[in-house]
Amino acid sequence: MAKEIGKDRLGDFYKDGGKVRKRREWRGVEDTLYDYSRWLVIMATLGKFMMKPRNVKAFFRYRWMANYLAVPMMVDRHTQGLRGEYLRICHTEQDLVIDDVAKLLDNLFRGDRRTGNDTEFSKKVVLVDENEMTAVMMGFPTLKCLSRETPSTYVSVLLNQHAAEHYIDVAQEFGLAGDVCPMPEAEAGVSIDDDAPILGACAIQCNTTCDGSLLGNGVISRRLEGEDGIPVFQLAAPLRHREDDVQEYAAQEIRNAIAFIEKHTGEKWDWKEYFECAKRVNYATKCRQEWLEMNRTPYPQVFGSNLALYTETNYMAICGRLAAFEKADRKITRLAHQAYEKKKRAAKEYRHRAIIWGVQSHYYMDFLVWLLNCWGIVPLTDMLSMVSTRELAETDTPENRETAIYDMAWLTENMIMRNRTHGGYKVLLDELWEFTQQFNADMVILWEHMSCKALTGMHGMFEDRARELGIHLVWVSHDLFDPRIISRQGVRDQINNYMRTVMREEPIDPSLEVLHDEESW
Amino acid sequence: MKDLKHLIIFEQLLLEANNELIRQAREEGRVCVAYTCENTPEPLMNLPGAFSARLRAPRTGSMEVATYYLTSFLCEYSRALLERAIEGGYSFADCIITPDGCSMMNRCVENMELLKTMGKDKPNFFYEYMEIPMKGDDNGLNLYVLQCKNHILKPLSEHYGIDTSDAAIRKAVAEHNRVCELIRAIGEYRKGERPRITGYEFHILTLATYACPKYLLIDKLEQTLEELKTREPDENFPYRARVVVVGSEVDDLDFIKLIEDSGAYVCADRFCYGSLPGRDPIVLTDDEDALTQICRQYMRRAECPRYMDTPKMKGRREYVAETAKEYGADGIIYEQMKFCDPWAYEKMLGSHILREEFGYPVLAVDRPYSIATSGQMRTRVQAFVESMEIKKIQKEGVANG
Amino acid sequence: MNQVMKFILKLLFRLLLILLGFFVVTFTVYLFNLDMKLTAAIEPWLLKHYDRIERDAHL
Repeated sequence: MAKEIGKDRLGDFYKDGGKVRKRREWRGVEDTLYDYSRWLVIMATLGKFMMKPRNVKAFFRYRWMANYLAVPMMVDRHTQGLRGEYLRICHTEQDLVIDDVAKLLDNLFRGDRRTGNDTEFSKKVVLVDENEMTAVMMGFPTLKCLSRETPSTYVSVLLNQHAAEHYIDVAQEFGLAGDVCPMPEAEAGVSIDDDAPILGACAIQCNTTCDGSLLGNGVISRRLEGEDGIPVFQLAAPLRHREDDVQEYAAQEIRNAIAFIEKHTGEKWDWKEYFECAKRVNYATKCRQEWLEMNRTPYPQVFGSNLALYTETNYMAICGRLAAFEKADRKITRLAHQAYEKKKRAAKEYRHRAIIWGVQSHYYMDFLVWLLNCWGIVPLTDMLSMVSTRELAETDTPENRETAIYDMAWLTENMIMRNRTHGGYKVLLDELWEFTQQFNADMVILWEHMSCKALTGMHGMFEDRARELGIHLVWVSHDLFDPRIISRQGVRDQINNYMRTVMREEPIDPSLEVLHDEESW
Repeated sequence: MKDLKHLIIFEQLLLEANNELIRQAREEGRVCVAYTCENTPEPLMNLPGAFSARLRAPRTGSMEVATYYLTSFLCEYSRALLERAIEGGYSFADCIITPDGCSMMNRCVENMELLKTMGKDKPNFFYEYMEIPMKGDDNGLNLYVLQCKNHILKPLSEHYGIDTSDAAIRKAVAEHNRVCELIRAIGEYRKGERPRITGYEFHILTLATYACPKYLLIDKLEQTLEELKTREPDENFPYRARVVVVGSEVDDLDFIKLIEDSGAYVCADRFCYGSLPGRDPIVLTDDEDALTQICRQYMRRAECPRYMDTPKMKGRREYVAETAKEYGADGIIYEQMKFCDPWAYEKMLGSHILREEFGYPVLAVDRPYSIATSGQMRTRVQAFVESMEIKKIQKEGVANG
Repeated sequence: MNQVMKFILKLLFRLLLILLGFFVVTFTVYLFNLDMKLTAAIEPWLLKHYDRIERDAHL
């Protein structure tokens, strides 16, 4: 029960084998009351959502909805040990994301043939993939761009580590090999299990992120197009996205996708709206760069999960389409500067400066908070946050309209993760070491998502380079959506073993070293 | 049946990556263009003065070093190739061209490059990575043409002075077509009730056309075709069922042999390194440049699961059904190499659709790169053959009242 | 006037009591994580319910 950072033994909040934690943290009067007030807001958001009969109906229809019982706990996991500005930054992000997901769910169920069945609304819905830049929707302000996979699998696993297991098993029961990436596998499982809302005028699928994702879409589109009668456009973003000779192809794909949406919704592309969105994307990029700039100094401010989760949402899923995120960008930047000027730190002790590379485990998204609190390893930035910094054209001129098509293509090609896992070894391998220098990092935590072939295919080269450069490289294997393969403790043990045997260090908070959270959400 | 005269020669050619014909072609001063994926248009690598060799790793043993670099989560084909490259087994290649067909193949070749496994003492050696379309449309075709220009023709011309003119491409297509016509003509003998060639023998011949300089095979293929015209098939068809093998990369001689030894005749080969559609001749007209026509035909006929648009996806399963019908198959074996993402999904969907919608008995299996004498696989194929027999008997029973 | 003032004060006092009660209850729920403990108890029942739903599971 302490106000000071690092005074609490955070591991003591866990109950062995329990689903939830014993109690919430006492962070001093001011911070506790702030956290409590944000908890109230979250409860109000959830309560408001459940006031609508269609949402209640959906709650009892779709298995993955049960995971949303764990929303407050997800926030608690990410705010562990945080005080002051860091706590406020985290809440600004998390609460906004929660609000956005609640609206997404509400809209999905409004149009869903099984629940809300608002057919007029459904005609204005364009379904998109979960791992897809929504750039092609920037000029359609009157349409709703909704992803079914985001709430059913992606967010669900953030909320409950076991969320995807049922769907992974369903896909495998139908003959899918167990060695593919569990993310598209679970998404395919949702479709096979008849557990996806049915709505929309049309759908845009994308070949991001990987071979598995590309093929998983085939399972989904078979049902969507063949049975539900929702036409699907497959947007093929080039894999070698750094090459000049693929950009025209990418641009034409964007033109074709826009034409497809116009055809099936009857809406016209709105350039004015597009350039407004482009301005917001530029602003988000500017803010992100400022945060990263601070993270190069001894006083990083927006880092770890605060950086990773928010960038994923803002960069990819929002893509300038919502003004609320611009407001949040501004607030986060203000809080970060405030803390930076006071030379504040988020944890008791900073021992190592680390770059987090690879694809993080979704069932253990708060691992970065643990790294900081348990071992004093500061996750300065992560692979998924090192996305495009290109400035988009933002004034409406005939030339810029053409440039804008290429900008949208560029964003789509450079979706989070695929901008590093595809496009040749330079973006995955070479640039990592450039970042370690730029951020003055002494350690690389390398998530080895075992089913991600693009990543594991560089395993040996990562090892070789780290050895040459004298950087501590710590492998953390996981199976992205499936904690049955490697548990959260299994993830932690890989760090624990390295820190004890190679670094010969003792944890800052020993209570966090071993946690029996296998059953936890 | 009497042994085919040249079969043993073909078998021997396939026992080594650096086979006798590759050595002969190089001695003749030809440039060896190594490649790894069926989406790389072969005629462009067989321009006058060059020849293509699709990389294989026959007699693969340990893959320890490649497993260190690629981990055990990548398919054994990519690991076997990298291991062989590290061992210096592809020193015959003068360049390597690979599309980002799948992540694993891309990483395999990138590791070859980073580890400097090839091109020692070859200042003109180059690695080229291509983007290839994922949809069979006009935009995809434009990309394909541009990529072939930039990543095959241009480097071959710049590094080795290869003539990449339209006339040279047409000449290469003519030679390519001759091989395709021969293979397809030989393959026709699989259709009869008493086939004059086994699936294994046909697999050997087809495989050789990928792994050896084509122009050096033509005479032996012609002689084999002649031989088949008068070859007397076995009196009784020695197999219990006819199957189409569909799936990922198969350059293992033993896999088809194992299936046939288990009682299933492989009447059609719809897999990478197979003849369907890999040995479809390329039809050229004079009203358009040859390169565009080649790319269009490669794109349209491609059965690779990385093609993601709906017409292509549907087309893949229809193609299998048509092939099964054309070759009189009783059943279909869907195979995938373990850890292959594209075929993991295609196998699941294809096996389901062919069974449920087209009514074929289907066996779906995954396998390692080299199957050797897998008892497990044998048991599965045998059980599948039995199930097909039972179905046949039941059908006949119903037909006879 | 006094009567009105009294009424207002009474109202304010009641409002304060309600707010205080609300705060005490919700803060107790918040601090002792009772919300999550309750939902954790509900989840197994929900999962059984989902298992019982008829689904058209197919590729």
